[in-house]
Amino acid sequence: MLENYFPVLMFIAVGLVLGGVLLAVGRILAPHKPDPKKLSPYECGFEAFEDARMKFDVRYYLVAILFILFDLEIAFLFPWAVVIPDIGFFGYAAMMVFLAILVVGFVYEWKKGALEWE
Amino acid sequence: MNELVATLAGYSSAWFGPQWGPPVWVFVKTLVLILVITLPLFGCVAYLTLAERKIIGYMQVRIGPNRVGPAGLLQPIADAVKLMFKELIIPAGANKFLFVLAPMLTLMPALAAWAVIPFGPEVVLADVDAGLLYVMAITSMGVYGVIIAGWASNSTMGFALVCVLLVSQSLNLSDIVNGQARGRFAAEGLNFLSWNWLPLLPMFLVYFISAVAETNRAPFDVAEGESEIVAGFHVEYSGMTFAVFFLGEYANMILVSALATIMFLGGWLPPIDAPLLNAIPGFFWLVLKIGFLLFCFLWFRATFPRYRYDQIMRLGWKVFIPLTIVWLVLVAAWMQTPWNPWQ
Amino acid sequence: MSASDLPILLPAYGEILLLVLASAILLVDLFLPERLRGLTHWLSLATLAACFVLTVQVVRATGGQAAYTFGGMFVADLMANVLKLVVYAAVAAVLVYSRRYLAERGMLRGEFFVLALFATLGMAVMISANHMLALYLGLELMSLCVYSMVALNRDSATSTEAAMKYFVLGALASGLLLYGMSMLYGATGTLDLTQMAQVIAVGQVNGVVLVFGLVFVVAGLSFKLGVVPFHMWIPDVYHGAPNAMTLFISTAPKLAAFAMAVRMLVNGLIDLAGDWQQMLVVMAVLSMALGNFAAIAQTNIKRMLAYSTISHMGFMLLGLLAGVVGGNRFSAPDAYSAAMFYTVVYVLMSLGSFGMVLALSRAGFEAEELDDYRGLNQRDPWLAFLMLLLMFALAGVPPTVGFYAKLAVIDAVIKAGQIWLAVVAVLLSLVGAFYYLRVVKLMYFDEPRDAGPIAPGRDVRWLLSANGLAMLVLGVMPGSLMALCLVAVQGLYPLAR
Repeated sequence: MLENYFPVLMFIAVGLVLGGVLLAVGRILAPHKPDPKKLSPYECGFEAFEDARMKFDVRYYLVAILFILFDLEIAFLFPWAVVIPDIGFFGYAAMMVFLAILVVGFVYEWKKGALEWE
Repeated sequence: MNELVATLAGYSSAWFGPQWGPPVWVFVKTLVLILVITLPLFGCVAYLTLAERKIIGYMQVRIGPNRVGPAGLLQPIADAVKLMFKELIIPAGANKFLFVLAPMLTLMPALAAWAVIPFGPEVVLADVDAGLLYVMAITSMGVYGVIIAGWASNSTMGFALVCVLLVSQSLNLSDIVNGQARGRFAAEGLNFLSWNWLPLLPMFLVYFISAVAETNRAPFDVAEGESEIVAGFHVEYSGMTFAVFFLGEYANMILVSALATIMFLGGWLPPIDAPLLNAIPGFFWLVLKIGFLLFCFLWFRATFPRYRYDQIMRLGWKVFIPLTIVWLVLVAAWMQTPWNPWQ
Repeated sequence: MSASDLPILLPAYGEILLLVLASAILLVDLFLPERLRGLTHWLSLATLAACFVLTVQVVRATGGQAAYTFGGMFVADLMANVLKLVVYAAVAAVLVYSRRYLAERGMLRGEFFVLALFATLGMAVMISANHMLALYLGLELMSLCVYSMVALNRDSATSTEAAMKYFVLGALASGLLLYGMSMLYGATGTLDLTQMAQVIAVGQVNGVVLVFGLVFVVAGLSFKLGVVPFHMWIPDVYHGAPNAMTLFISTAPKLAAFAMAVRMLVNGLIDLAGDWQQMLVVMAVLSMALGNFAAIAQTNIKRMLAYSTISHMGFMLLGLLAGVVGGNRFSAPDAYSAAMFYTVVYVLMSLGSFGMVLALSRAGFEAEELDDYRGLNQRDPWLAFLMLLLMFALAGVPPTVGFYAKLAVIDAVIKAGQIWLAVVAVLLSLVGAFYYLRVVKLMYFDEPRDAGPIAPGRDVRWLLSANGLAMLVLGVMPGSLMALCLVAVQGLYPLAR
């Protein structure tokens, strides 16, 4: 069972190594002559106006939280969907209750404008 | 072929002894198989870029690249060589480690997900039971590279896939393909009507549109927006750092097309159960279907104007999520009834 | 594929109804036009009334016997049902008391009612939990709702700060509790409280892991009860939250916390009573001492009542720790029923005194300084009299019910042979009497400072009267409530005959 995952692990490692190798090839083959102007942040010819590490708009956090919420729901739905013939009407009904509660929350956030961007 | 494998395994045991031989052999065999998947994939990415330029060129009544080699066929090689000799610039204010790590983190998931993709019956590197979960997990790591646009679309993709799971009852990608060979139409030889795309048509559309958004492709390429924010998040990447990003993104595109093929278009199955078509290897059908979906990617880019960010959000949250939830409930209810077409 | 697959849900009918109606209210409130928003208030009260009636019906259907559902995770025994009835009534009273206050401050929105109802649902689940996970689920549902209720007044810096403190410390306590639960699970191999008690009774359990888990669980419990040394959040949260939210968190959640303590310590871990009783002794004495002495120094009535809460919860613990004497459970029903009686009575007292704060508040005036109560007798003699009854009850002055509640607990402590503890409790109660009686002195013997109108609505006036007079009536005739508590506690699994 678990040995099936060995190629997966190797593939991940190879993916990282390949990325590293390609970058190394560029570093070896390409010229390397840095100067301050070349290394300054790209800002269409201006001096940089502000640090790129700025505060995010709070709306991104709201969207991020909603996203996590729905992603978690899906994590619950996955195993349910796989075994649905075995769990009968009770399993079906339980998930429908779960989805109904989810929909209540969804209607609420929609109506409250959490999904509006502007 | 089997003899060759057995002989090689024998060599391994002879060289490394009975204790270390078999593990070393497994290691080497896996490494070779991985390269057999990865290197052609790089080739596909290279020629996908050429295809993109050519196809969009013809759609816009231009010719596209035609100078390097016959009909421009060596253009990708020239591009690759050029990128290799370009200087790597790491801006002074950047965190060097993260700056270099980011392209690798984009490329790694796009490659590693291929470990569980079946290329034909029994032709898969790792035939794991939780294959789909693995793909979802590893591709969602790609969102760390490009945070914004992936969000809304990722959720809807999940919901759309739950519908596929409902009807196939397996997370194993090979089982999902094989499940599509059963059904009422397949019994009459009309395989392509039994594939998931027909009974789950809205989900197929939602999945594919979400996949376009997930890969930051036009018309949802707000994170890159060439004409507006000069390639956005990778504007400061040059040379091979840029190339690795690029490889990752295009490999991702091929990956989601392959997934869509497996989930909805019957994977390696021929469209009609006829002796002539069955004789053609499944790998050919798989590539054909992936190619068609990739063509759609390019077609969209040439056709649609870019969506605004708020429009993407509205599409994802207010159209796709309600649609997928409703369809999910419908399919689940449908399966509770005797008129279940998936038995 | 038939309805017979479904488990028998009868014991949980009340919670299911509450969930459905709370969700419905959330949606109804969303689509109501602005002028009909007052309807949400009445719908919420109707929901609580319906749940009350249904719970009574559940008691009738089960005949007061313990009924299990959801694979033993959920139990509806008599204690659960009685506490739930009190919770429903208390929350309904909170809604009535706080309506005008919230309306004047623009907080009377659907969110308040929905959060209150979901918090109530969380409490009901906690009260009926027979499984660590169900308990934790209920606890978090209640806590998360209460955190956001405290922060409902978003523009107020003190409210936000209070909510932040409450949330961070609450999360810490939940972490401790979970850690303890995982230890207990590791030691006993089960999360079901009944099974856990059986496994421990057999005796083949790693004692060190078990006691470690117990320590963490008791720490988490004491945070939720708000007893020393996990009391630091109480004064700040009571003070910072809007008055209506203070009223809410000082009443019904105490019942849920009591139920949680009983479920964990009595239902699950009664065989470890020797260990947890010692911890409770320390916490009870410290809580009574700190609560009573710190309350004297307060000039803000909300802070004063917050410290008084700490001392009262400490006093309630005396009942819990007097149950098992040398491994002998004969006096346990008396002791636990005394604690239950004390909790119910405390909730009534707290409901009345914070209700009074709300009744005296008006737009732009919070009535939260002790000075605001000077000369209340001249301004409104009836309200002053009710406040007098409530303060007497909190102080434990006969013939109010507060005296009888304290008497029952001290009686149990003496029966357990811990005379010194009883003496300490009486002495610290005398210290507490000082600051309650100070409020009475301010109301009756000082000149009024504040000349604003006192205009609580007729419903608030009636309910407050009933609440205040209940102190007197129950004090004269405590027998039936005491008997009910005794029967309820006797129905607990480890004590059932």
